[in-house]
Amino acid sequence: MRKTWLLGIVATLVLGMGMAQQANLKACFIYVGPIGDVGWTYAHDEARRAAEKAIPGLSTQYVESVKPADTLATVDRLVSGGCNVIFTTSFDFMDPTLEAAKKYPNVIFAHASGFKRAPNMLTYMADFYQIYYLNGLMAGALTKSGKVGYVAAFPIPELKRHISAFALGVRAVNPRATVNVKWINAWFDPVKAREAAEALMAEGNDILAFTEDTATVIQTAARRKVPSFSHYNSMYKYAPDYVVSGQLVDWSVIYIDILKKVQNGTYTPNNLQNVDYWWLAKEKAVMLGAQVGMPINPKFEAALKQATLTVNGKRMSVYDRVMELYKDIQSQNPKWDPFTGPIRDRNGVLRVPAGRRMTVKELNEMQWVAPGVVGQVPDEPK
Amino acid sequence: MEEIVNALARALSFGTPLLIACLGAILNERAGVVNLGVEGMMALGALAGFAVAFGGGVGDGNLWLAVLAAMLAGGVAALLHGFVTITLQANQFVSGLALTMVGLGTAGLLGKRFEGQPLFNQPPEWPFTLGAVGLAVLLTFVFYATRLGLSLRSVGENPAAADLLGLNVSVVRYAAVVAGGALAGLAGAYLSLVYRPSWTDGMTAGLGWIAVALVIFVGWSPLRAVFGAIFFGLLYYLQFRLQGQAAIPSEVFASLPYLLVILVLALSGLRGQQGNAPEALGKPYRRGER
Repeated sequence: MRKTWLLGIVATLVLGMGMAQQANLKACFIYVGPIGDVGWTYAHDEARRAAEKAIPGLSTQYVESVKPADTLATVDRLVSGGCNVIFTTSFDFMDPTLEAAKKYPNVIFAHASGFKRAPNMLTYMADFYQIYYLNGLMAGALTKSGKVGYVAAFPIPELKRHISAFALGVRAVNPRATVNVKWINAWFDPVKAREAAEALMAEGNDILAFTEDTATVIQTAARRKVPSFSHYNSMYKYAPDYVVSGQLVDWSVIYIDILKKVQNGTYTPNNLQNVDYWWLAKEKAVMLGAQVGMPINPKFEAALKQATLTVNGKRMSVYDRVMELYKDIQSQNPKWDPFTGPIRDRNGVLRVPAGRRMTVKELNEMQWVAPGVVGQVPDEPK
Repeated sequence: MEEIVNALARALSFGTPLLIACLGAILNERAGVVNLGVEGMMALGALAGFAVAFGGGVGDGNLWLAVLAAMLAGGVAALLHGFVTITLQANQFVSGLALTMVGLGTAGLLGKRFEGQPLFNQPPEWPFTLGAVGLAVLLTFVFYATRLGLSLRSVGENPAAADLLGLNVSVVRYAAVVAGGALAGLAGAYLSLVYRPSWTDGMTAGLGWIAVALVIFVGWSPLRAVFGAIFFGLLYYLQFRLQGQAAIPSEVFASLPYLLVILVLALSGLRGQQGNAPEALGKPYRRGER
């Protein structure tokens, strides 16, 4: 009897070691929000699961709702638990991630949405600015009051870039329209998002868009029969009659690419200093849509086909323009970019000279906002 | 005019869960038991309500049952607090804080499968709002015009005297704590069924704490709680309505609810409202001890 027990234990140990050897790649994720936020963290976690399925021998682990101050302690725990690749998925994890990279030179770190790197730390981002412009075109076509509302999380370059691209789109169709911004100063606070959306609608905004991590704006807008745009995930199911389109992300293409390159030895803890992913529609990291596979909600197709704008002296429907540009940015060599000069900021200062495009660095450090944006914008250069 | 109506409508909508939770806390504090677990009980109520309303996965469960489930969840959690503080006579503040943490954690854990799911059978807002105001009136009547209210208040003011008069202090306190918990659960259900029909971890977002502060602000009076909740709701809405209209940075507006809690507590301190607190609040009752 006792021997059987021992045998069992030995067998388990051997099996365990065998499995540990096979699963030599352990990727761990540090999330800033709960995985159920239906936004940012949810999207990262979906991608984590997809990567686990796609890469044999990969095991993953995650820690959610981590405060930036606890990043290093979380890394300590994950490293001692055998993690050899660690993804930190919030801008405010940037400095602690760099510190962790110095502390653990043999572990590979990857930080989302930041700009600081090290030999064993790369950066990555799936960005929406092109998609936001397309949504802006649709918002400009659909607004009757000429006032488009925007619920925004924090006044950081990422949001200024998104709001500006959106406003450029709105004004391309409706040159006198405004994009009215309310900051909630939180990534995740459904209560604030709801009251901000209510305030925007009370001020006469008849279309809403947003950058924060919940589906609150969609739900609040739908209750008052106001169209809105999905952000991050497929939010179509929350209000099938009122979600026009939106910006969707697929982080898994980035995660799978990074992890495969770690697995086959392309990426080592010594050669990541200059590795920066800036993946867009071309790489299929982001998509246009009310939900995956539905670039534009059919309910709004007729209205968007009826609305027109002038492109290079030629009238065309907003619908066709959106589709044309979307096709272009998905191609291997996109010809179009929303931040192509000349672009002046809302104070009239020329920010992008004629014929030039903004660089990734400029987009990442953008502090000015485009004309048409109304509301206080902190840290705006004069 | 339309502006004022709109602002008041928002104030009532945001104020409803605050009012319900606040009335629950007033009820248990009037009986002498502090329960800082409001936030946790709200989270449990929000989850239980959503889970039942979500039904078999198509979002068409019975809403009455959902509300009942939320109240039950809050009540059961409060029962735990009652056992620890009334029967075991442990520190009420510590037990309440623990309840908040356990409640938030448990709701987050059990709620995983509902995350990201929309709810289609949303109940209307007004029955909750009307019910909450009605409850405030009812509680005022019960507190000051009925024998039941007298018993409740005497247990909170002077449990030894109440005991002498033949009242069972433990039973009264248990009842008040469980009823208070059920109301916290109901406040949670309002959030997950009406205010933002969905379930997300952390969706109570500190409302339970504002409700706890509100209790002191309104001096343990149910009627004043109505105005307190509307006042908070108005300020909450106005922080966004005024943003961009006045030359004040948005960060200032964002910190407003917190500044307000501090201001409100300081003001009520100045007005001597701490003196309104039930005499035996926070003190476990031990028979024969003085």
